Amino acid sequence: MTSTGTPRPGATSRRSLLTGAGLGAAGLLTGCVSSGGSGGSGGSGGGGGGGGGVVFQNSIQDTAPKAALEALVDAYDGEVTMNSVATEQFRAQLTNYLRSSNPPDVMSWYAGSVARSYASEGLLLDVSSLWEGDGACAGFSEALRSLSAAEDGTQIFVPTNYYWWSVFYKKSAFEKWGVTPPTTWDEFLALCTNLSGQGVVPLANGIGSTPWMASGWFDYLDLRVNGAQYHRELLAGEHSFTDPEVVEVMEQYERLIPFFDPDMASYSNQEATVPMAQDRSAMYLIGAFVTQYFPEDQREDLDFFSVPVMDPSIPTAEEAPTDGYFAAAGTDDPDATLAFLSYLASPEQQQLFIEQSGSSNLPTSPDVDTSSFSPLVQKGVELLNSTQEITQFFNRDSSDALQATADTALTRFLADPGSRDAVLQEWQAAAEGVRGQ
Amino acid sequence: MTTVPATTPTPGTSLAGAPPAVRRPRRARSPWLHVVMVPLTLLWLSPIVFVALIAVRSFDDIASRGLAALPASFTWEGLSTAFTGGSLLRALGNSVVVTACTVLASLLLSSWAAYALSRFAIPGRKSLLLVMLAGNLLPPQVLLVPVARISESLGIADTLFALVAVQVGFGIGFYTFVLHGFMRSLPEELFEAARLDGAGAGRIYLRIVVPLSRPATAALAALATTWIFNDLIWALTVLRSESKFPVTAALLNLMGGYSSSWNVIAAASLVAAVPTALVFFLFQKQFVSGLLVGSNK
Amino acid sequence: MTTGDLTTGDLTAGAPAGRRGRPRSPGPPRGPARPAPARAPLGARLRRVPLLVWVFLLVPLAVELFWVFWPAANSFSLSLLRWDGITPAEPVGLQNFADLWSDPIFRTALRNNVAWVVGFGGLSVLGGLALAVALNKPGRGVGLYRSAIYLPMVVSMAVTGLFWRVMYQPAGPVNAALGGLGLEELQRQWLADPDVALAAILVAAVWRQVGYIMVLYLAGLKGCDATLEEAAAVDGANAWQRFWRIVVPQLRGVNTVVFAVTVIDSLRTFDIVWAMTRGGPYNTTQLLSTYMFQQAFTAGNLGYASAIAVVIFVLAVGFIITYLARQARAEEES
Repeated sequence: MTSTGTPRPGATSRRSLLTGAGLGAAGLLTGCVSSGGSGGSGGSGGGGGGGGGVVFQNSIQDTAPKAALEALVDAYDGEVTMNSVATEQFRAQLTNYLRSSNPPDVMSWYAGSVARSYASEGLLLDVSSLWEGDGACAGFSEALRSLSAAEDGTQIFVPTNYYWWSVFYKKSAFEKWGVTPPTTWDEFLALCTNLSGQGVVPLANGIGSTPWMASGWFDYLDLRVNGAQYHRELLAGEHSFTDPEVVEVMEQYERLIPFFDPDMASYSNQEATVPMAQDRSAMYLIGAFVTQYFPEDQREDLDFFSVPVMDPSIPTAEEAPTDGYFAAAGTDDPDATLAFLSYLASPEQQQLFIEQSGSSNLPTSPDVDTSSFSPLVQKGVELLNSTQEITQFFNRDSSDALQATADTALTRFLADPGSRDAVLQEWQAAAEGVRGQ
Repeated sequence: MTTVPATTPTPGTSLAGAPPAVRRPRRARSPWLHVVMVPLTLLWLSPIVFVALIAVRSFDDIASRGLAALPASFTWEGLSTAFTGGSLLRALGNSVVVTACTVLASLLLSSWAAYALSRFAIPGRKSLLLVMLAGNLLPPQVLLVPVARISESLGIADTLFALVAVQVGFGIGFYTFVLHGFMRSLPEELFEAARLDGAGAGRIYLRIVVPLSRPATAALAALATTWIFNDLIWALTVLRSESKFPVTAALLNLMGGYSSSWNVIAAASLVAAVPTALVFFLFQKQFVSGLLVGSNK
Repeated sequence: MTTGDLTTGDLTAGAPAGRRGRPRSPGPPRGPARPAPARAPLGARLRRVPLLVWVFLLVPLAVELFWVFWPAANSFSLSLLRWDGITPAEPVGLQNFADLWSDPIFRTALRNNVAWVVGFGGLSVLGGLALAVALNKPGRGVGLYRSAIYLPMVVSMAVTGLFWRVMYQPAGPVNAALGGLGLEELQRQWLADPDVALAAILVAAVWRQVGYIMVLYLAGLKGCDATLEEAAAVDGANAWQRFWRIVVPQLRGVNTVVFAVTVIDSLRTFDIVWAMTRGGPYNTTQLLSTYMFQQAFTAGNLGYASAIAVVIFVLAVGFIITYLARQARAEEES
């Protein structure tokens, strides 16, 4: 048989791919124009900013935040086409978007290493003007400023909101069980033991279809045991996952395993809140977006406490992932793009977005009037203002590739803590593979 | 092939291969069929029923009692949100347009290729057919990046036309393979006769091949519809405007980044299945019995 | 290979077409006899193909070349690179393939994929054939049964995954049913238990596929010549013998299609695994396609992902070629 050899690649360069494109088009058109023509009729608008305003590509999917963002865009005095696509698609296509000859102008993303590598390829628009003088981001904190800078110091990112991670619980349930939030690590463990004794699952989690949730506790235990500095270095590859420091983190993690929901490996992070809503589980280390998972009448009942300090000599640290926007360097209309970014970053719009989306986000602008926000959000602001160090989350502080190695290692460790040393070795090997790129 | 006897079979004759039916008068079917099939059918439908139950529950019901619980609430909230928030109708419209165009174009092109390969002495046709089929074996994921770039460089990125084009290209191999098998078995006498009447290749295609392969084409159309209507990956690759998304991409959008409204997802999933269900049940007759028509002229 | 007739087998309805309506002498066992021209010298044969027919052939071929083989060649050439899609690519020769063999996740995915092709293909073909045989005869309720079995086919793979995630919830219908039957010891976290997760996904995929295969076989069975069996029954062949000796050989055309569909669908399986487990728990349900997607778009290793794609393609072509070669032999023997 002869068919195997056909699609053997030569060393076809990417350029020849593009030049060859015209040729096949003829064949294609003859073939499809009869029926495909009507299908294409909707396509004339194109995806880019072709003269007609700003194209705003984002990966927002949750119902309320999406509606809030749409309202913001509708109220904008200028032409903006907003496309919301699923996060997965967005991630898979982001490079194509940016490299496109007619790219979307503004895209949602988060601060961190991915944005920096795009910037180093010259794919991102320099938004430094927004960070200077009376620009929309000029008053943002220094931490946000450095987070939003490329390696060469230009600003390439516009952060518009962030949220905090903490241990969430229901006030009414704690009252029912006669317990109070712990202030020390020992109290926390005692609380878990107490709740277990009452037949309540102390710790909710959902690491099934959302295995990255397993990194939440890992991050926090590392922050509490070894501190933010070590944590950052570990994620940057300056320490090994087989270090005694990491082993110590895993030992602490292992102590929590009996307290986790035995079904956590079957749940997504959202499904894990169902037992909590029914008062069958008690506490959940998760981002503030968790409030959306609860039935409406339980949201007021939610409160949180920070993961208790283990070693007072270690500076306090919290995780606060930051979301925002960047723009394509290839935009047709940089002025309109910058204007739209500045609109999104303005305190009024941040405030509107947070109020309407109902998702416990915090504003990045210091000028937002937070007094009308819910007590929970105000407490979140307070938490982040008082902490000494802020990190984001495992993947944002490292990369999505490293996150995948963490997912494998941590979910396996949680299923079989006895395999800890083997898990850490494989994790280190996988991490080296990722960084060896 | 096996040898062919010279009797005309009666349609509907019992398939003696079904062991329980041996030598039994035709009417007296074994009750075992129903004993096995009734529970099996119920089992088969149960996932769909469960999802339908989720679709009519309220968000708060699901959030407080879990996905697996039986409904404690009844609401059309999921369905109406799916239709208003999810722009489901527009997406369904896009899907229908794309599916119809793709099915038509790919079956047309495939029938050309199958006709050429099955009735003409084209050198290397066997290899050619297999190569075309092999093209269908590629996982679409591997083509994502190049296809995105090609449609970009042609200036048809983010159009439904690009989506149709790529799916036509991707399906042709298999459809050609299937139609080729069918056309090859059309009786040569018909072609002989037409040639004697002076008909050229084009006329024969229109007058003999197209009408005679209608049943196979119909069957293939039904299959192709389920494939193309349910495609997600190509839509994600070539489209970026929400207004052009087919229903699968719109569904993915509904599934949420941080949180999912399961009732909306369930309702939308069921709605999205309606067009393919319709196509199948409309084509069902053709599919199962229509395949016989060709030989009866 | 000879230049003679194609050996790919007849199609579904093709097989019976020649012998249904009117009796034909038990003439040439192969399909339509294409006479001498096939054996004429190359030049003579070429002239026999009218221009229009070349157009008929070349247009579809060009479309497929352009949209499938061209991108595939590009993509395959990426397998010789180390490229994250952002920074400039670096040629690494066959290093990606060498890395594959030392990658435990790849080996798991490969093993899973072989198991998947066998399990998914085997179960859906056996189930589909059994159901087609059982439901071939018209009768009360048969139409209903057929429709019910086919119905899952109308939902997409991704949605199927969603449906079954609900079924497999820890307190979901599957575990509840097992509890109801007194089989508590079989209850488990289906998608979180590495020992059963892949099988659990397989059940969901087969649930959707069986109806499809059943319909193909129903079409094939309709075309089977019942008189052959009656004759065999008169000769004293039992039901089992008749099924294997008379019915199955007549299904060869359908088998080819079923085989092609099954291999294509099983090697392309992606959505359902992605929707149900994303390859987890800890990569135990990873298939080549999901691992490839993860490498390409989560980890950003486009070169490595392309190497995986090459493996998938080689596997697929291997399956098809083996089958067609075997079938060609069988046909020559008959």
